[in-house]
Amino acid sequence: MALRELSSLEKYLGLKKPNKYSTQGDKKVPVLQSNNGAPVAGLVTIACHLVKQAQRPELLGDSAESRAVVQQWLEYRVARLDVCTKDDIKITLKDLNLYLQDKVYLAGNQFTLADIFMYYGIHPLIVDLAVQEKEKYVNVTRWFDHVQHYPGVRHHLPLVVVLRNRVYTSGHH
Amino acid sequence: MKLFASEGNPHCLKALAALEVTGVQCDVQYVNHEERVVPFLSRPALPALLLPNGLYLFSSNAICRYLFEVSGQESSDLCSQWLEWEATDLQPAVLRALHVAVLQGKGAEVSKALQGPLNYLDQSLSKRTTPYLTAESVSVADVVLWSALYPALSASSLAVDVPKSVQAWFDRVAAIQGCQAAAQKVLQGKGLQGMKNYMQRQPAPQSSQCRDTLSHNS
Repeated sequence: MALRELSSLEKYLGLKKPNKYSTQGDKKVPVLQSNNGAPVAGLVTIACHLVKQAQRPELLGDSAESRAVVQQWLEYRVARLDVCTKDDIKITLKDLNLYLQDKVYLAGNQFTLADIFMYYGIHPLIVDLAVQEKEKYVNVTRWFDHVQHYPGVRHHLPLVVVLRNRVYTSGHH
Repeated sequence: MKLFASEGNPHCLKALAALEVTGVQCDVQYVNHEERVVPFLSRPALPALLLPNGLYLFSSNAICRYLFEVSGQESSDLCSQWLEWEATDLQPAVLRALHVAVLQGKGAEVSKALQGPLNYLDQSLSKRTTPYLTAESVSVADVVLWSALYPALSASSLAVDVPKSVQAWFDRVAAIQGCQAAAQKVLQGKGLQGMKNYMQRQPAPQSSQCRDTLSHNS
């Protein structure tokens, strides 16, 4: 999974030469084998490295504050979302829904690497949501739909159909 | 800018140590463990940093990285790698270890819970020629990992089996004045007992099982 995400990111960034990867440990942590320097380990660390390699620093945030917010959601992806239990899923979606209430993207108005990797990580949860639940988490669904239609992001993942019009009227929750 | 922290919460040690070491000006407010500071999170999450732009950071590693960046020290790839490892590997192991030590009184199991991460750290440290994890001087990676390990490694009652190179590095970071000061603020010199109140309010840590139904690993 992690290697497919990195390969999709490489394509999104337009990196011409594909990098060489291996994995380490029981958890199959991705490792980037680099020609000039030490190997780089960890999904988020490699992703940030590739963004710098492609000279797209704006994807990591354009101020110290937005860089911190981007790093926070990247960490959230690997340390929380990837290990969240079934019971946690509802809380995760509820919190994210509230967070996204007044934001287009995770770092505000700017599309960043955090959107790409939270999208990859949350895809399996959104696939499993019923229509009613998609409406319950309407801000998450809206954000998700934005990101999956963002040019060049979706790659290895199937499109999830999100209804733009509400099927159920308000009063339902 | 304002940092919210609670006494006896081991995650707060990282943020307070980063604040001391970087010398960044920031108000610190101590609140109860249960206080919901971050408006969009259902569960209490401390430490939390209110940024000048009104956004909240709720992950201690992101807070530390930010404090180092505004003090002029951007994180290198190697720093990021350690922070990611801390969040995904070390932190779950430390929480399991503290849970059995503080709440179940099974101090003997702490060594076992920490063995894997400590060996990994040992391997990396013994290959390095610098006194700190990433460089000749202390970085955000040293502060975060030291703070994560401090509650377990500083408790003499636990007698954790610490590899030699890890102990040498741990003592080197401990000698930095800001680190000790932060530890004193969070644990109040009460060691493991100082965390009891906090640990009792946390859900029991999961064993290492993952989200089976959702891991689409090929």
